[in-house]
Amino acid sequence: MPRPVEKLVSLTINGNEVQAPAGMMLADAALKYGDVEIPVFCYDAKIGPPVGACRMCLVEIEGIPKMQAGCSVAVTDGMVVHTDTPTVKAAQEAVLEFILINHPLDCPVCDKGGECPLQDNAFGWGGGLSRFIEPKRHFEKPLALSPLIAIDRERCILCYRCVRYSQEVAEDFQLVLEERGADTFVTTFDGHPYVAPFSGNIIELCPVGALTSRPYRFRARPWDIEQAGSVCTLCPAQCNVSFSVRDERVLRVLGRDHEGVDDGWLCDKGRFAYQAIHVDERVTEPMMRDGGELRPVTWELAIESAAKLLSHAGANTGALVGGETTNEEGVLLTHLMRETLGSNDLDSRPGGALDLELLRALNAPKLQASVPDLQYAHAVLVLDCEPVDDAPILDLRLRKGVRHHGVKLLIGSSRPSALDERAAHSARFAPGCGEAFAAALGAELAGQSSASLAEAAGADPADVVALATQLREAGEEVVILWGERLTAGPRRNEGARALLNLADQLGLNDRDGAGLLEIPSGTNSRGLREVGVLPNASIGLGDAATVGRDAEQIGEALAAGDLSAVILLHSDPLLDQPSSALWQRALGKASTVIAHAAFLTPAVLEHANIVFPAESYAEKEGTVVHPDSRVQRLRRSIARQGETRAEWALLAELAARIGNDPKALTCSMVSARIFEQVPFYAGLSLDLIGGVGIRWSEREAAASFPAAPAAPFTLDAPPAAASPNGLLRLGSFRSIWASPEVEASPALAFLHPRQRVEISPGDAARLGIAHGENVTVASNGDSVTGLAHIRAAAPDGTVFLQTSIPKGSAALLEGPLVEVKRS
Amino acid sequence: MAWDPEKDVIEVIRGPQKAGGAGGLYRAFGETLRGLKTTFGQLRMGVDTIQYPEEKIPVYPRFRGRHQLHRFEDSGLEKCVGCSLCAAACPSDCIRVVAAENTPEHRVSAGERYAAVYEINLSRCIFCGYCEVACPFDAITMGHDFELSDANRSDLIFTKEMLLAEPIERTPLRAEGE
Ligand code: SF4
Ligand code: SF4
Ligand code: SF4
Ligand code: SF4
Ligand code: FES
Repeated sequence: MPRPVEKLVSLTINGNEVQAPAGMMLADAALKYGDVEIPVFCYDAKIGPPVGACRMCLVEIEGIPKMQAGCSVAVTDGMVVHTDTPTVKAAQEAVLEFILINHPLDCPVCDKGGECPLQDNAFGWGGGLSRFIEPKRHFEKPLALSPLIAIDRERCILCYRCVRYSQEVAEDFQLVLEERGADTFVTTFDGHPYVAPFSGNIIELCPVGALTSRPYRFRARPWDIEQAGSVCTLCPAQCNVSFSVRDERVLRVLGRDHEGVDDGWLCDKGRFAYQAIHVDERVTEPMMRDGGELRPVTWELAIESAAKLLSHAGANTGALVGGETTNEEGVLLTHLMRETLGSNDLDSRPGGALDLELLRALNAPKLQASVPDLQYAHAVLVLDCEPVDDAPILDLRLRKGVRHHGVKLLIGSSRPSALDERAAHSARFAPGCGEAFAAALGAELAGQSSASLAEAAGADPADVVALATQLREAGEEVVILWGERLTAGPRRNEGARALLNLADQLGLNDRDGAGLLEIPSGTNSRGLREVGVLPNASIGLGDAATVGRDAEQIGEALAAGDLSAVILLHSDPLLDQPSSALWQRALGKASTVIAHAAFLTPAVLEHANIVFPAESYAEKEGTVVHPDSRVQRLRRSIARQGETRAEWALLAELAARIGNDPKALTCSMVSARIFEQVPFYAGLSLDLIGGVGIRWSEREAAASFPAAPAAPFTLDAPPAAASPNGLLRLGSFRSIWASPEVEASPALAFLHPRQRVEISPGDAARLGIAHGENVTVASNGDSVTGLAHIRAAAPDGTVFLQTSIPKGSAALLEGPLVEVKRS
Repeated sequence: MAWDPEKDVIEVIRGPQKAGGAGGLYRAFGETLRGLKTTFGQLRMGVDTIQYPEEKIPVYPRFRGRHQLHRFEDSGLEKCVGCSLCAAACPSDCIRVVAAENTPEHRVSAGERYAAVYEINLSRCIFCGYCEVACPFDAITMGHDFELSDANRSDLIFTKEMLLAEPIERTPLRAEGE
């Protein structure tokens, strides 16, 4: 459903004429447009429509004999509202006295004290006296609602926020209220711990100290901490966060509501993985390999040795750049590689270099959908990605769109999606066959026969027809949310063409509220491409003077001895690259491996000669680009831990020692240089980006985006999906919890994934595998083991394994077919 | 530029050049004797100097000297729950509280939380007593000790152990009605 058109109405609040958009709730309108605060407990616009549970917000409206709940009444033209009459005052005092009847008032030991809406409302609107002398209700406290959240049921004021969040926002349906009346309490339905990807949000929602964060419990009071706004860089969703800092330590992460990015929510990774900043496992000093082991060394020695090794390797150096790299670091790395060492072998995409023309076409500003478009489009097609794993917060946005705005959600993926049950239609295709599937959809939309293409994709032709019909009938505004997987691997260019044709069929180009939205593999993948951290592009997606090797070719060249040195900037090829075997060989052969890493992940631990400590995201400054083209700014929130140094400065220093000083004195100097050199960023500045970021594709300078070829492209026939015949197709996915930060955070460690083998009940029965059993998956002599996970929704003939985990990653296997057996 | 004395002449005003005679004698002794008369006139008032530090003035019961943290007499648990309210009230920001959670095996205070770190920087404290007023558990009170000088500034940061310890009573308390 397209965005609602705002119509203004005028109403009178406490004698003042106020203009507010029709349909807005009175409590919101009064605060935002009338500067009048109506106290609330249970209402929060971001949870959805009001339920009127607490009655804190009573106001008088002329013409209505009884008082009304300000949170549940929409403003209308000519409404006359009073919020400060004696009747309202008496009602507020009575409601607060009533709410406090059963409240233990243990503020001094309560973690919410000092930032508690109940304290604030009682202070601002309460009568100050209670007539209740009877005993209060008692519960055992505090209990662990989950390993992350503590619940104190005595303090709960039964506002329903957490339960509504679980039922209507996260839709994990775990939290419920049990019992009736004064005995009511919040719990999970069957008493199991509340573990969900977005559970932490209820801590921030709870208006009292009933739900508190266990890692943060009692660490500080609001007056002990400072809030520092920045951006979470643990996944491409780049949620806006605020760090609570005490004594140069991040003690918790709160959301910094941004309608255009995160809608006010965070995932549990973003909320709790800050702990990894302050663990002992983190690398906080430079290290060098000495006698087979990494040992701490001085900065001077590390830099001098790195400079010597790199100038020795010269043009025989390759570089892999991980997604957490900022644009500034990316640009300084290209300076180090291209202008200083004379090598063009650098890549930030794990899937192989995409044809530059196609990359431009996919990133063309007119074709970009924004995050809010997901919520207001007529239809959203989720193509070859799993939002909850790849960019978690978008999962909540899609659910909101479906629930509140009638978005028709369509899914085409190989692995069953968490969103399937909210989708109007979901289709499955064989892993790696996104190209054929997109081509089949495109053909069906164009009125051609799609059956053979659907067949090639390993999909049910009827599904393709159904999806195409839904897409055609949904309306004009269609957003395709697609995963980088679609344009990775040997047929990446064909995948891109099929996607562009599909977008063309749907007429997404230059249509407001419609377009493509990519979920890239790395946090700042989009920014890194735009500043030229690609083998075949220069800064601003211009043509590269010389085309270098892409990630896979760098691996092959290292293995073959054509390259001798490699820089791993926030990248661990054994975790990020599709083939572990290749990279084991490559790194084993490389004579110089220089890593910038925060943790000793497998490749760093086994192969790096020199390790430079990487800054954590709370220590970094610089800019990153959100997948929907929003340029955002990272700000340094704490002092760098240990001996960590600014990485942009380190990259500049390395280049300077090798003999080509980039003359970067501050990070903002590099930012300014980027804004000058990337034509479509022209006129940007750090001030302009500010705290909320700015979408470059919406600015005038976007007109100078390099021209790209227009669809339709002619497609060649995609190869048919491997037919399982006895073996199973190998599909892989990266879990939301697969990251070194999650592994290192004590609070989250219980979530860090171990390998699990997802198969369908049919295949499991055929192979005689029971749920939870140990199974071995083998191909070409390599094998990994994991626990069998029988998933009802999994398609027959395919097995799904995780990548990006240190042990037994799917990257050890070579598809497309693998053998699964009990071990 | 060199200094030019010509531009900076100091005018010296001198007393009468010629002394002597009765006038001179009076000027030399008369005024002195007049002053001494006042001095000796006070002799009968007795000595009022208090020989500190051998002798100390007793303080009033509500005198605000260095703080004390308290325990419950029966259970021996600390009264302080580490709520940080004293730190919030302190106008000179000299209290630092870092709380932690009590466990059944390690119970320090009566509530859910206790102060793992409790420090008062007495070199910054202005002895206003706001912390005492703020404390919801009467865990911190102002004691009577005012002899706090030390040779080292960092020794003036009093830790929880120091504040909990029974103070050496160095200051006499003024008795009722005194
Ligand atoms: S636990 Fe908190 S959010 Fe949930 S109902 Fe109780 S007071 Fe409301
Ligand atoms: S969704 Fe991504 S960006 Fe947002 S909080 Fe989670 S990890 Fe961070
Ligand atoms: S007496 Fe006043 S200045 Fe001293 S610690 Fe207490 S509140 Fe702070
Ligand atoms: S002394 Fe009192 S106010 Fe200060 S932290 Fe302890 S209990 Fe709270
Ligand atoms: S805020 Fe209106 S009823 Fe709770």
